[in-house]
Amino acid sequence: MATVNGQKVGFGRLIWEYLTTVDHKKIAILYLIAGGFFFVMGGIEAMLIRIQLAVPNNDFLSAGLFNEMITMHGTTMIFLAAMPILFAFMNAVVPLQIGARDLAFPFLNALGVWMFILGGIFVNISWLYGDAPDAGWTSYASLSIASPGHGIDFYAIGLQIAGAGTLITGINFVTTIITMRAPGMTYMRMPLFTWTALVASILIVFGFPPLTVGLFLLTFDRMFGSNFFLVEAGGNTIIWEHLFWIFGHPEVYILILPSFGIFSEIFSVFSRKRLFGYSAMVFATVLIGFFGFMVWAHHMFTVGLGPTANAIFALATMAIAVPTGIKIFNWIATIWGGSITFTTPMLYALAFIPSFVMGGVTGIMQSVAPADYQYHDSYFIVAHFHYVIVGGVVFAILAGLHYWWPLMFGTKLNETLGKIEMAIFAIGFHMTFLIQHWLGLWGMPRRVFTYLDGQGLNVGNLISTIGALLMAVGVIVLVINIIITVAKNDRVVDVDVWDGRTLEWAVATPTPEYNFFQTPLVRGLDALQLEKEENNGVIPSAGPVEDVHMPNNSIIPFILTLGLFIAGFGALFHASGQDWAIPAVKDLPSMRPWSMILLVGGLSITFLSMMARSWVDDHGHYIKKERIEKEMREYEERKRGAN
Amino acid sequence: MADLQTESLNKKELDTLYKSRAKEMRIQLTSFALMIFMTFIAFGLVALEFNKYLVGAIIITLAFIQVILQFYYFMHMKDKGHDFAKLFILVGMYFAIAFIITFVFIVWIGTGGIK
Repeated sequence: MATVNGQKVGFGRLIWEYLTTVDHKKIAILYLIAGGFFFVMGGIEAMLIRIQLAVPNNDFLSAGLFNEMITMHGTTMIFLAAMPILFAFMNAVVPLQIGARDLAFPFLNALGVWMFILGGIFVNISWLYGDAPDAGWTSYASLSIASPGHGIDFYAIGLQIAGAGTLITGINFVTTIITMRAPGMTYMRMPLFTWTALVASILIVFGFPPLTVGLFLLTFDRMFGSNFFLVEAGGNTIIWEHLFWIFGHPEVYILILPSFGIFSEIFSVFSRKRLFGYSAMVFATVLIGFFGFMVWAHHMFTVGLGPTANAIFALATMAIAVPTGIKIFNWIATIWGGSITFTTPMLYALAFIPSFVMGGVTGIMQSVAPADYQYHDSYFIVAHFHYVIVGGVVFAILAGLHYWWPLMFGTKLNETLGKIEMAIFAIGFHMTFLIQHWLGLWGMPRRVFTYLDGQGLNVGNLISTIGALLMAVGVIVLVINIIITVAKNDRVVDVDVWDGRTLEWAVATPTPEYNFFQTPLVRGLDALQLEKEENNGVIPSAGPVEDVHMPNNSIIPFILTLGLFIAGFGALFHASGQDWAIPAVKDLPSMRPWSMILLVGGLSITFLSMMARSWVDDHGHYIKKERIEKEMREYEERKRGAN
Repeated sequence: MADLQTESLNKKELDTLYKSRAKEMRIQLTSFALMIFMTFIAFGLVALEFNKYLVGAIIITLAFIQVILQFYYFMHMKDKGHDFAKLFILVGMYFAIAFIITFVFIVWIGTGGIK
């Protein structure tokens, strides 16, 4: 039996609760579960890639299947694993850190999560259909237009749906952080995770529209007979590369900035010091976000943009090292002289600094445009971006999972298993990717499905594969840890298990749906730590206990997204076997009239859901003052009983 | 969540609200008329077949004015409490212009133009 809002309910009721929920804490769990599932999917794909490359002339995977693997690995990890899991933390933590009762648009939050989940499933259904996308995660138009079958169509439509969800959630977070802060929570008192979530959300708002445009152009070229990227009809495939990287470069900052935020929180809590140079950190975050838009063409140095463009983008890229360096030094200064506790999150954070610096340094090497001609499309690049994304983002995700698990689930992950997991994962990570720098410099190109014997690449690849398997072992230890913790269900009495400094550690556990019994009053940076020093850990209230207005649950977000999901299949099969279609799908059997029925039917479901939402007023409900007072008393008794 | 506003307005407050709305409406209509007028000028210039470069320059100037009217009077950038929205729009414009310049120079004119 599970519990919903303190009441025991059956399994069916629990599923219904999660299908209809608009509560940011439950949506965080949805993001985490779905993101975790895709993370495992992407991980399995990575393992298969590494097994294929373990020995020369291997035939474990065929060349075509290998292309599908690398494409789906990249796409899944970036769009469907890393970003959603960061959204899970943002959903779980940001409203609590700023003292809000929910996000600004709870309905849109639910819409965002369902769009991501169904979009992600849409992309992955390509495996079941037997025709996965195979043009790389960047899906360069020259390759993707030529790719036969429906693989690329799954990519374009699935990411379009998931991307719309991300855009919606981005707008939601910007609005929430700007308008819903508790009294006293000024901008310069916001915890750094909230700051980085704000800047990352702004990047989403500016960065995702170019991807949307690019994907629409690709969709129209492949499925509706337009000629944006068809060179023989006057199109230009370079436009896709620009659109993709105008989105794609901010995307890596969308991933890394919240990760920086997570580490900033962890360094400060486990060093028992306030973050060194808080205002410089905020400034650096904003500056990285701004520069992030000015550097996209450094992914295209070898396209032939000419020396002027290459020089401009090379310089802009090098400039990003400055704010990032500010951050690294501030973290080191935060640890310096602190009273350090080596918990699992802190170990990840400590391992992050050298790993990320190594990834950053190779990034600077590549920003030198003439030198990049040498590194381009080699394993050096693969090593670089895995150092920043695994050493930065994945470390942050794992650290954040251990750190915020008590807040999200009311239990605590086992620390011993956590440390074992961290050690195995970190060793495996360096073993996998450090050697890949040399593999690249020795001339191994990326995206090849095998290599010949006797070229000096055998040992390096074998080491890399063993490292990858070690990383898998680390993740398995984490999964075992989670299973044990969930099975034991050893509830924490006070959520503040780490002696935290920020407002999210001041809520009751399990956190009531309205978050705070009374709206908190924030008196300074590190609000909870301040009150621990001056007010015995009690957060002052900005007002009395009063009725709280809350939104109603709704199934509309799910149905609306389901409509898009169905329409996606209609669009996918639209061009099959039509004579106006591109050669890639021209010879497939025609799916008329079913494709038309799915397309129109799906879109009708979506528009009917929109109409239902617009015309039926939903004023939400009030949670009565008496209930809040009762729950407040119960929580205080529980806490007293434990002491 | 903010509480729903349940108490009704008194007569004086209602009056002020009507007045401010009427003023808002007047401004909107004026700027709308202005924008239509400018569009007519643009069409007229093309129809009268003036010098190509002159027409281009004038149309771009008019377009620029229209964008400002659009942002300030239709999208409420002139109102108080829109600092963040203003910042967003300006930053977005900066990026958009940067993208357009890159596209024009790199994709269409090609590297020959800026060697």
